Amino acid sequence: MTLKGKRTVRSLEKGRARWGWAFVAPGILFFSIFSFYPILNAFYTSFFNKKLLSLKPPKFIGFQNYERVLSSPDFWNSVRATAVFAAGAFVPLFLLSLLFAVLIVSRKRFQRTAQMALYSPAVLSSAVAALIWLLIFDPRGLANQFVNLVANTPGIDHKWLADATMVQLSTILVYVWKYVGYFTILFVTGIGKIPQSVNEAAVIDGAGPVQRFFRITLPLLRPTTVLVSVMILIQCLKTFSTQYLFTQRGAPLGPINVLTLNIYNTALRDQNLGRASVMSVILFLCMLLLSWIQIRFSRSEEAEL
Amino acid sequence: MKRIASIALLAALVAAPLFAQAPVVPELKGKNVEITIWTHEDANRAPLEKGYIEQFTAANPGVKVNYVTYPSSKIREIVTTGFAANQGPTVFNLELFDEYPFITNGRVAPVDYKMIGVKSQKDLEAKYLPGMISPVVDGGKVYGLPLELTNWCVYLNKKIFRDAGLDPDKDWPKTWEDVMAVSEKIVQRNGQIITRRGFDFRYPYYLTSVVPMVEQLGGELVAKDGKKAIVGDAAWLKVLSYFRDFGPNGKNLGSPTYTAARNLFDLDKNEVAMSLSGLYQEARMKGKNPAFYESKDWMVIPYPQWKDAKKKVPNNYYGHYYMVNAQSAKLEQQAAWALLGYMLSHGEEYLSKVAVVQPTKALMDSATFKGMPYSDVFAKDMAAAHMVYYGASSSKIDASLKEAFESVMLAGVEPQKALDKLRKDVTAILEEE
Amino acid sequence: MSAMTRAGQPRWKSLPGAVLAAAILVSFSLLILVPLLFMAGASLMPPHEIMKMPYDWIPKEWKWANFRQALAGNDGNWIYLRNILNSLVVSLSIAFTTVLLSASVGYGLAKFDFRGRNAVFMGIMATMMIPFETVMIPLYMIAVKLGMQDSYAGLIVPFMMNAFGVFLMRQYLLTFPSEILDAARIDGCSEPRIFREIVFKNSGPAAATLAILAFRQQWDNLLWPLLIAQREEMKTIPAYIVKFAAEKNADEGAMMAVAAIASIPVFALFFGLSKYFLGGSAVYSAGKE
Repeated sequence: MTLKGKRTVRSLEKGRARWGWAFVAPGILFFSIFSFYPILNAFYTSFFNKKLLSLKPPKFIGFQNYERVLSSPDFWNSVRATAVFAAGAFVPLFLLSLLFAVLIVSRKRFQRTAQMALYSPAVLSSAVAALIWLLIFDPRGLANQFVNLVANTPGIDHKWLADATMVQLSTILVYVWKYVGYFTILFVTGIGKIPQSVNEAAVIDGAGPVQRFFRITLPLLRPTTVLVSVMILIQCLKTFSTQYLFTQRGAPLGPINVLTLNIYNTALRDQNLGRASVMSVILFLCMLLLSWIQIRFSRSEEAEL
Repeated sequence: MKRIASIALLAALVAAPLFAQAPVVPELKGKNVEITIWTHEDANRAPLEKGYIEQFTAANPGVKVNYVTYPSSKIREIVTTGFAANQGPTVFNLELFDEYPFITNGRVAPVDYKMIGVKSQKDLEAKYLPGMISPVVDGGKVYGLPLELTNWCVYLNKKIFRDAGLDPDKDWPKTWEDVMAVSEKIVQRNGQIITRRGFDFRYPYYLTSVVPMVEQLGGELVAKDGKKAIVGDAAWLKVLSYFRDFGPNGKNLGSPTYTAARNLFDLDKNEVAMSLSGLYQEARMKGKNPAFYESKDWMVIPYPQWKDAKKKVPNNYYGHYYMVNAQSAKLEQQAAWALLGYMLSHGEEYLSKVAVVQPTKALMDSATFKGMPYSDVFAKDMAAAHMVYYGASSSKIDASLKEAFESVMLAGVEPQKALDKLRKDVTAILEEE
Repeated sequence: MSAMTRAGQPRWKSLPGAVLAAAILVSFSLLILVPLLFMAGASLMPPHEIMKMPYDWIPKEWKWANFRQALAGNDGNWIYLRNILNSLVVSLSIAFTTVLLSASVGYGLAKFDFRGRNAVFMGIMATMMIPFETVMIPLYMIAVKLGMQDSYAGLIVPFMMNAFGVFLMRQYLLTFPSEILDAARIDGCSEPRIFREIVFKNSGPAAATLAILAFRQQWDNLLWPLLIAQREEMKTIPAYIVKFAAEKNADEGAMMAVAAIASIPVFALFFGLSKYFLGGSAVYSAGKE
């Protein structure tokens, strides 16, 4: 009796496992063709000296490619540009979206309106956003007019797209503008999942709103905060269109030459596929590493209820 | 009898041009061929070329032509990607310095003289102005046919000059020093923000329009040995300093971040007095602002020279050449060359309808060319100019130039520092070739 | 659903606190909307009015001609209409396939136990870190090898699915009550049927959210359609925007009109389906809280 029962259970499990594979199969197929193969291809190419248009078989140069890239000031400039952008966008995005989420949730009405208003920029396509902001950042545009009005400095050109520091600020500004609403919604959802019982207990215990926020809401929000921070970081490291569209319209390349833009230019403008692949691999590995670190870091501080 | 015969002959002679024949290509007879053309968008050129294609396919049924256009800012990437995947089109055109890698990598096919109706390379070269074919010659073979060759001169808005108290016919700037002086008189600002400019450069085309400024003073981008980069420090420093003085940290006369001068000039809204552009701009002006075009309140002046220039160097000219994919089937290549030969034989229509200049001797002598206002200014400058620098890494060098000049102009970098970095960068680029 | 926000969330005891919160929200919301208002206004102005200092928010006369120029294009061939259609077809198709396939994969990862499940999940998540520029050229070669260039297939297939969709659906389905599934199995329901009738049918909120996100993301896709679509008739809206803006006689007012037209469908979709998407609705959990 026992033997028969065991067999049935196991075959049931095996059958189920097979169904699991069946449901997952389309995903595996898709990602293998359209994601894994290309990145492996890039990884492979990074060891060769491959020029884009050359018909001759590329020369294998192994790690020399990596040496060349890691010792080139242009690469490190891109690392700097990417890091500055990611750090500069991460902090405002995270803090502002959290702040807005908390404020929204604390209100009785107009929660939806506020979220929709904040999210509207994210709905636009990046080409559209770039067009609009290029006009705003024009020396005669709204940006100068607004700042000059507020700071009472008429006629000063703040060189939003010309000055090295300002252009980095401009790209960060556009990016934060575009995505703050999106992460606000994620936070609102996350806060909404916190069981009301905990908060009610705290209120009964006499905890004030600020105390409640830091002691209860924030720790219980951890899964969402981890998710949001990983997402923000990855999105920031992948940024491309804003910098691309700005440089196409005359902005200086150096200050905002983020890695993705550098990869793109190296592959298509300089036709150096080998070098572009090296940078791609490095970027990819960095993103993996940073995400892993973030998740690890958060797991070691699990909130205890 | 005789009368009927002569009438018939007359009729035939008159009728012949009406049926201006696209060539019937014997090699294509009875065969089915499909070719693809990728070219950059041009609202005037597309219908013209499509018309020729129709005539050609009527004369050669069995030939199918796909005519595809792309934005000019994107076409280089798209053609490059296509070729990288071994899926390039049969025919394409890019600017010469973007096309050069295609030649050096063996991706394009040599001209088929028979298909275009000439006997030899010498024959072909004889049709064009001197030096127009040599840029696409490699190893004794010709790899492209010129679609257009363009040089830029300075368009000038007479109204704005007069408004600034200048006489356009006397005070038009002949030297770069004049340009700065005149711009200072014309410029209008709101605080620091410029609302009206005198002259402004054609950013970011440094290879085309700024390198000549250096060459006028005896400097060079690349030495004749092809290895040494950025020769003639004094010349380079003078031009770099000029940009610094011109820009927002100097006299604040212009900057790459304002709307491009050439886009504003035609509108005649008192925003920019001078802009660098080619003969084709006249057609655009005519279309966009016919009142302004007809009013003759504008003129074209030659590219300025330094007061103490060592030699006269006008704006470099650049060219688009039609090229054929070396990986296309032989029949497709033949059809492509035959079609190209036919299309490009209509130089005058290209000029009058699209305002692009094919550098053929016939065109330069034609009434159409001579009838375009100020064409003599363009022709004179072109005769003294040379092709913009082309090589395996021209776009990269252009990018380095942009960085150098804009760092001096916008970021306050010292010209000597920018020059040293530029030299390092360009030398590295040349070495990697 | 509304119970969540009614009770238990930090509430301002004092009025000044509430007013401050409101003030901050209102001012930032308005600030964020400024560029959109700019776009709306500028789309009805001629260029020199847009660049005027100081800027007049209300256009003097409403230049509807901008919209005509936007739609007709600078060469008058009205191809924008076709491009809009293409964007709609492609984005809708991708929204559909993304939801369907992500649900399938998410379901497999959430509700089934098999060896290597974690590895598959991690692997799929890792694909989120691949920047598109890196894989652009190999992807193009694959697409061409499969004969997909210059076609709807080429525009749709490489983006049929994405890792975030899998993540979302898996997250949602993790909390789907397994008892219901087991009950159905005992009743003799086949796995595909369970998926179709029970799981998928009840994934409404998550599916709607994913559909909106996938649609928006694809609407925004610039590089890939530019590469894969060759004929004008196959190009999508972002390509048109770039082309229009780059044309040598570009008119800022018409450009803003192009931008405005491009934004209408996504705005309509978003506001129409917003109840699924915004926080506070039962998007992230299928089970009962």
